[in-house]
Amino acid sequence: MSLALNRWRFYVTPERVLSVCFIVLLAYLVVVPLFMMIQETFIVHPLERFQIPGSKVNDFTLAHWYRFFISESAYTFFYRPLVNTLIISFGLSFLALLIGGALAWLVVRTDMPLKETISNWAVVPYILPSWTLALAWISLFKNDRIGGEKGIVSALTGFEPPDWFAYGLFPITITLALHYFPFAFLLIGGALRNIDAQLEESASLVGAGRLAIIRRITIPLIVPSIMAAFLLSFARGLGTFGTPAFLGGPVREFVLSTSLYGNLIGQRPGLGYLAALVMIVIGMLVLYMDHRMVGARKSFVTVAGKGARLGLIELGRWRWALAGFILFFLFSVIVVPLVALAIDTVMMIPGVYSWENLTLHYWIGEASYSIGLGTGEAGILKNPQILSALKNTFSLAFVVAVVTCLMGILVGYAIVKRRGTLISKCLDQISFLPYLIPSIALGATLLAMFAVPRGPIPSLHGSFLLLVIVCSISALPYAVKAGISAMRQVGGELEEAALMAGAGWWTRMRKIIVPIQKSTYFAGMLLPFISVTRELSLVILLVTPTTQLATTISLLFTDRGWYPYTNGIVFILTVVVVGCTVLSRRVMGTSLAKGLGG
Amino acid sequence: MPDIVLDKVSKSFTKQTHAVEDLSLVIPDGSFTTLLGPSGCGKTTTLRMIAGLEQPTSGEIIIGDSVVFSGKTGAFVAPAKRDLGLVFQSYALWPHFTVAENITFGLEINSVGKKEINKRLDEIASALRLDSLLERYTSELSGGQQQRVAIARVLIMEPSVLLLDEPLSNLDATLRMEMRAELKRLHRETGATIIYVTHDQLEALTMSSHIALLESGELQQFSAPLEIYERPANRFAADFVGSPRINFIDATLDQDSLSWGDVTIPLPKSAKENVGPRVSLGLRAEELGLSRTCGPGMVEGRVLTVLPTGADWFYQVRVADEVLTIRHNGETPFDYEDIVYVEIRSKSLKIFDDAGKAVQ
Repeated sequence: MSLALNRWRFYVTPERVLSVCFIVLLAYLVVVPLFMMIQETFIVHPLERFQIPGSKVNDFTLAHWYRFFISESAYTFFYRPLVNTLIISFGLSFLALLIGGALAWLVVRTDMPLKETISNWAVVPYILPSWTLALAWISLFKNDRIGGEKGIVSALTGFEPPDWFAYGLFPITITLALHYFPFAFLLIGGALRNIDAQLEESASLVGAGRLAIIRRITIPLIVPSIMAAFLLSFARGLGTFGTPAFLGGPVREFVLSTSLYGNLIGQRPGLGYLAALVMIVIGMLVLYMDHRMVGARKSFVTVAGKGARLGLIELGRWRWALAGFILFFLFSVIVVPLVALAIDTVMMIPGVYSWENLTLHYWIGEASYSIGLGTGEAGILKNPQILSALKNTFSLAFVVAVVTCLMGILVGYAIVKRRGTLISKCLDQISFLPYLIPSIALGATLLAMFAVPRGPIPSLHGSFLLLVIVCSISALPYAVKAGISAMRQVGGELEEAALMAGAGWWTRMRKIIVPIQKSTYFAGMLLPFISVTRELSLVILLVTPTTQLATTISLLFTDRGWYPYTNGIVFILTVVVVGCTVLSRRVMGTSLAKGLGG
Repeated sequence: MPDIVLDKVSKSFTKQTHAVEDLSLVIPDGSFTTLLGPSGCGKTTTLRMIAGLEQPTSGEIIIGDSVVFSGKTGAFVAPAKRDLGLVFQSYALWPHFTVAENITFGLEINSVGKKEINKRLDEIASALRLDSLLERYTSELSGGQQQRVAIARVLIMEPSVLLLDEPLSNLDATLRMEMRAELKRLHRETGATIIYVTHDQLEALTMSSHIALLESGELQQFSAPLEIYERPANRFAADFVGSPRINFIDATLDQDSLSWGDVTIPLPKSAKENVGPRVSLGLRAEELGLSRTCGPGMVEGRVLTVLPTGADWFYQVRVADEVLTIRHNGETPFDYEDIVYVEIRSKSLKIFDDAGKAVQ
């Protein structure tokens, strides 16, 4: 063997090859689409020819920017949705921090009873599709603004909820906060659990009181997790589509995500892409603020102290009352909405809550234009369109779970093995990038990239592959994070020991790395499976009639006012998702908290 | 002024097991007392009970004139009111504070004036050579520096009792030697009572004025270091203290002699009636002699291992069924497989009965 070849072999290690391949792939799927989308905001699209006099398709134009930011209609297109978005995102993040943080503190630091039950239930709102609560809110508090039928509350009590309560910013903020507070609960709970009890003890030794300890020691120590939880709920809230669409639509309150959707689906793609761009910029600004506030010097990991038993704060006679109150709260945000949805699926005439009105028509009835709503659609379990959408959803969720898990393993491996090198940092950064892009905007970038053929790549619009790509990219940051921490735990030496024993790379992966980290990977697969199953915002721009998913089809039914179908589909998704979580907990002992990392 | 008295102190975390059981101890004022024992023996729990971070299940703790805990009356004095400082094993430095903030936090909480705080900070920082580090965050410090910050944070409160929980266990060997000397100097300079927890018997021997040896939550012996070394109260004490480990050999005790194989050793005074005949004899490595020629009272053995340490040579020698560790600093070293003759040279014999108790 020649010297050059030997050199070459030494240089071309599996982790180097992996790193380079992934950087190229991710650059192509994340970075290039971003630029494509920016380019789209400067050109004339086929539908816009007539709005911009004298232009041809693909001409350069500043008209979109002008219309979006400066013209008279900018208020409707941009400023109003922007303000709404900011109000909602800040509001929901604060609320979610408050609820999740308080819950976490009670569970970790006090002697409140029923902790286990409460911890298990407290993550359920996040597993449910984000717009379940929105639908339930409509079922419960609907007033006569959107057509004849009444909501349950109004039917039972005769009280008509006012518009501001039934629709718009208020319910959007509330329902999203109730959906996202588990982030804060998990992240802050994890940080609280990891605080070295001695840090607080040493403060109490010098005479600091309980409040002083919480204010001066405990809270500053968990600031990084508080910020992380804030950032996460803010970014997710920013990119969410379903809830503002359902609750904002009836009173014509738009946010950036619904404005983006409206413009892209309507005849103004240029404006739609601009809305997406603004969302991405906001996401990055928030991250930058977080960086500035927490700072590198003070960014510490809380390391658990040895043998430090945390003294639990005694709540005295309030402990049962508090636990009861929390269970009641969780019951109202989990069980009540689901029951409300379920009830609406078995009411022949919506809004009439009587025994005679009970029916299974919307579940197993034949298509009919005269019964009930007269939709001409067969019941959910017999409806080919719905069944095919459900099938699409679950195949997509499964494929994405496998793909992200594999990517997580390989990227995590490549990053850890080459730690400290430029190429590793580069890969780390680029795989984190999708985290910052609000989900509907991520969909928009891929739409911009793949709606038309580019070079040798044909148009992927309307293909299953495109859905796989967008969902995988969106789940990538979590998968990579899990992969990295799993690799760190294994440590390089275990693999090197196998290397010394003469095992090749493939054998080492198969026999050492993967088996040791099995449970981590399984947890890593659960999260994408669940998120894809209930994903709407990410895919709403990319589905076509042939690739309809359960979530997107339920949106179609909502648009037509056929709530029994929507609610039934959401109900099915919920049952599946909760079932999967419980099952994986039982079988593998994995929990969602593990997948989220921290 | 403040002797620290533990009177029948017990602590259990679960119903079945005791972490500490019926511990009675008087720690003299100004002493350097070490709580020594293997991990899980209850030494840290004892320290935490003295500090007030843990409440005993029963018993009484008195510091100076005040009863800080009593199982009978239910008296309990909060940790901060006990006039003591605790340095944690992990140092427990607050990562979100700078070094200066870490050190002054206690004074600040107790509303000491800014000027006074700065004055004391300057003093303590120069005493512990932390002057140039005051603006750093603790994650930017080395292990030894973190340790000094942890000590400074406690000393600035000027406590009359200083509690140290395995403070040296996270340092490397060289630094540990340095810090031992530094802690001893600190003890002399401050005159404070120091209660020191460690599992390292050598550390305990070199540093303390008193050692309380604990095992399974029970006090085994409380005395001066050399006393424990020379007159261990029981087999455990003999075994745990001293390096290399003490040799135990099975022996037979008669009215006025002790026999081991062919060797019979006359006893200076008669043994008690109710002991023996089977006992074990504890022999430290330096209490055994080696020679190439046989003499009276010697047994034959074969060299198994040679372990030179520089100043001394340690040999493992097989005698009958036992393997003995023997220190020897003669000029001509022995080699593997050499036939040697072993002799007992101890001034006082350490004899333990069946139950492991020392026999006088």
